[in-house]
Amino acid sequence: MEELRKLAKELLENKTVAAVLGYVEIEPKRTKPIVITNPEDAEKLVFNEYCLNNLAVYLTKARIKNLAKQNGSVLKLGIVAKPCDIHAIIALIQESQLKREDVYIIGMNCGGVAKDFGLEYGADTLASKCVPCETHKPLYSDTTLGAEKETPKVSDEVLDKIRALEKMTYVERFAYFKKEFDKCIKCYACRAACPLCYCQRCITDKTIPRWIESSPHSRGNFSWNVVRAFHLSGRCIGCGECERACPMDIPLSLLNRRMTETAKEAFAYVSGRSLETPTLVGSFDVKDSDELFM
Amino acid sequence: MENIYKPYLAEIKEIIDETPDTKTFRLQLKDPEVAKTFNFKAGQFAEYGVFGEGESTFCIASSPTRPEMIECSFKVYGKVTQALRRLNEGDTIGFRGPYGNWFPLEEQKGKNVVFIAGGIGLAPVRCVIDNVLDWRKDYKDITIIYGARSIGDLVYKYKLKEWRDRPDVKTIITVDPGGESDGWDGEVGFVPTIVEKIAPKAENTIAVICGPPVMIKFTMPVLKKLGFSDENIFTTLENRMKCGLGKCGRCNVGGVYVCKDGPVFNYAQLKELPDEF
Amino acid sequence: MEEKIISKQNLVKLCADIIGGGHILIAPGKTEYVVTQDASQIVLDTQSKPTKASYKTFVFPKAEPVLYYKRGKNDVQILDAGPEQKKTVIIGAKPCDTNSFNILSKVFNWDYKDDFYNYRVKNFIVIGMMCEFSDRYCFCTSVGSSPVSEKGSDIFLIPLDADNFAVRIVTDKGKEFIDAYSKYLTDGNPSKSKEVSEKVKHPEVAFDSKQVHDWLAKNFEHPKWDGVGDMCLSCAQCAFVCPVCHCFDIVDEDYSYTEGRRMKNWDGCQFGHFTLHASGHNPRDIQGKRYRQRVNHKFKYYVDKFGEILCTGCGRCSRGCAVSIDIKEIVANCKD
Repeated sequence: MEELRKLAKELLENKTVAAVLGYVEIEPKRTKPIVITNPEDAEKLVFNEYCLNNLAVYLTKARIKNLAKQNGSVLKLGIVAKPCDIHAIIALIQESQLKREDVYIIGMNCGGVAKDFGLEYGADTLASKCVPCETHKPLYSDTTLGAEKETPKVSDEVLDKIRALEKMTYVERFAYFKKEFDKCIKCYACRAACPLCYCQRCITDKTIPRWIESSPHSRGNFSWNVVRAFHLSGRCIGCGECERACPMDIPLSLLNRRMTETAKEAFAYVSGRSLETPTLVGSFDVKDSDELFM
Repeated sequence: MENIYKPYLAEIKEIIDETPDTKTFRLQLKDPEVAKTFNFKAGQFAEYGVFGEGESTFCIASSPTRPEMIECSFKVYGKVTQALRRLNEGDTIGFRGPYGNWFPLEEQKGKNVVFIAGGIGLAPVRCVIDNVLDWRKDYKDITIIYGARSIGDLVYKYKLKEWRDRPDVKTIITVDPGGESDGWDGEVGFVPTIVEKIAPKAENTIAVICGPPVMIKFTMPVLKKLGFSDENIFTTLENRMKCGLGKCGRCNVGGVYVCKDGPVFNYAQLKELPDEF
Repeated sequence: MEEKIISKQNLVKLCADIIGGGHILIAPGKTEYVVTQDASQIVLDTQSKPTKASYKTFVFPKAEPVLYYKRGKNDVQILDAGPEQKKTVIIGAKPCDTNSFNILSKVFNWDYKDDFYNYRVKNFIVIGMMCEFSDRYCFCTSVGSSPVSEKGSDIFLIPLDADNFAVRIVTDKGKEFIDAYSKYLTDGNPSKSKEVSEKVKHPEVAFDSKQVHDWLAKNFEHPKWDGVGDMCLSCAQCAFVCPVCHCFDIVDEDYSYTEGRRMKNWDGCQFGHFTLHASGHNPRDIQGKRYRQRVNHKFKYYVDKFGEILCTGCGRCSRGCAVSIDIKEIVANCKD
């Protein structure tokens, strides 16, 4: 923690970064995002198992980006990031939303985070996204901090759930998701919390023509949630923020995770893992198999 | 149960192309019983709906003194106005209203009236002009100053002619510099400049002003210089609305609901509002 | 008013009778208020956490048709829509929820009357229950309510011991309703329930709403708004789980080439396009202005217009916020 605060303070003081996106503790086992521009505030920063947010979502926000512009020069934005958050940053760079030199990644070694604030951290309360996690060390960073950790070992519950879904017939699966989507209230917290839902104007806000019905009834909820899953297939880095943000507990990760699996099986591609690899959609090849779509 | 969201049906009797992107509809309410009792006051607005597309908010441009037709003018911008543009004479639209407050014309009898409008901003002013002209003997001097970017952007050309032809109304039409062409017999210049040039006297006079924000911004100091008090300058606000009934929560400026407390405000009231237009 | 006692077994029977009578019965489920078909499954726990969303959707649905239309060649036919007129009973509502109808009724009736809302409320019986839950987000006591407030309840339950509830009959509507089930009730002793309710721990008062109101009147422009706006992600979770947020959108949706319906759907003031004009102009163009609107609407505008705070202090908006924006903390800091 001390090394994090010291680094953030230095970076702000020597004007390497204009701001640091990080976490602040509001009570034990509970943090919230914070943007620090004053070096004195660096001592507020924390990193622990309750740093649930993926702060990469802020990197595409206009007013946060503007912080980097200072007196005619453009500084970097510092960001405290878990390895999975870094996947999102890489995906944003892959998709040209960000340049590598725009960010100073303070990568944190991570052994997983809790499911929710206030819970005693352990194998039983591990966030479901952490269960299948393979990257406990940042793939990319400007500085990596913290001791290397292992995730508590638990059964592969997310994959089990996906497998359970796959065992269902189409009819059963449809019924399952209909029930889940019926809970949707169209608050778009999933979209807001997603680092890769950065469209200036989301398709659901477009009215001429209206592609996605805005009504939160079955049909409108299907059109929204399914279209979002499609838009994220091969792009989702699996940070699980959509599911955490959902006030109605819709298991959005199941859907996104399935799309990720599909992309991996068909194209051996996982989003946000390599700066050298073009995006899946951006690397279309005529020799690609059509099987997936036929 | 009373359904406040249910519109009347209205037939488009006539469509007038005002400018390439502005149209006027002349409407008649389909239910004869409703048509007979329908009334409104100058300055009120309504929700005009295309079934399948939605509703849009415009003022009622015709005068309550001429109740045989309801007129509205709109500029094509969004989903609903694009749909309205596609309609033909004889088609049916939804009409909810009248809503909101109105210009206090009764209270202003015996005064001079100056109308200042720019572009499509003439629509809400037009109903007041026609109303005042129909009650001509109740008012003293009437001055109309109307401007648009170019001759092609002037709306209600037939009305402009009618007003210019009247000896008891002083009508000045202007276009922005560069917007004129050969044979233009009106003024050339921005509205604030023309107001300054015409210099209507402020004594015992009310001003009704509506137009693009930039026009209002530069005309206000001119009116102040001429001696108009804030209470005697009236305008009408426009904000995004959905219900028009003071419920849906989006048209407020600070604590004021434009759909209920407005759309007509005097400048003294406007100055009380926070800067959130 | 009167007070009765009901045993837990009889309460289950009463609930079964309500369902059996063809009424809709809503009870707090694991995370939501749910329509229940099985009275024996209802768990009434004063220590339970507030549900994730309020029950406003039962009187002000998240999506509701206000009319149906059929288009002919030049003609249009409008068919009326209206709420189903069915008696609805909610049992075990938290005091921070029960007050919501009193507040909502103001805006839905201040001039034009929204009968879609009114007809549902008219058919609604609210059986509230004392609350013993409290977390960092609760602040009912700061907005004029309390864990034992009967405001908005027709009937109010207080657990007397492991097996019995005191049944306080708060309104005439409640009396008329409960009289039909009098066989399950025995006479109560108000002093006993009073003793219980007085022992309930109240959340600490976090702010003086009058002071907040006056501060807001003077601080429309304040750096605070941009500070919170920069962290807010512009979703409408806060508005949609709120018991009293009531902004809505009206949209048409076709379901065939000639037929469709006009919907009244929840909308939220934190969405950027909420106030976006067709011309591209937006009076609340950045998130700071939108958050300012949210706080002002709740603690100033609504108070000025209707004499009520547009907030019940349930804390749902903060509890559910993905970036932990805490309205209690923000409002408590609305002071010089």
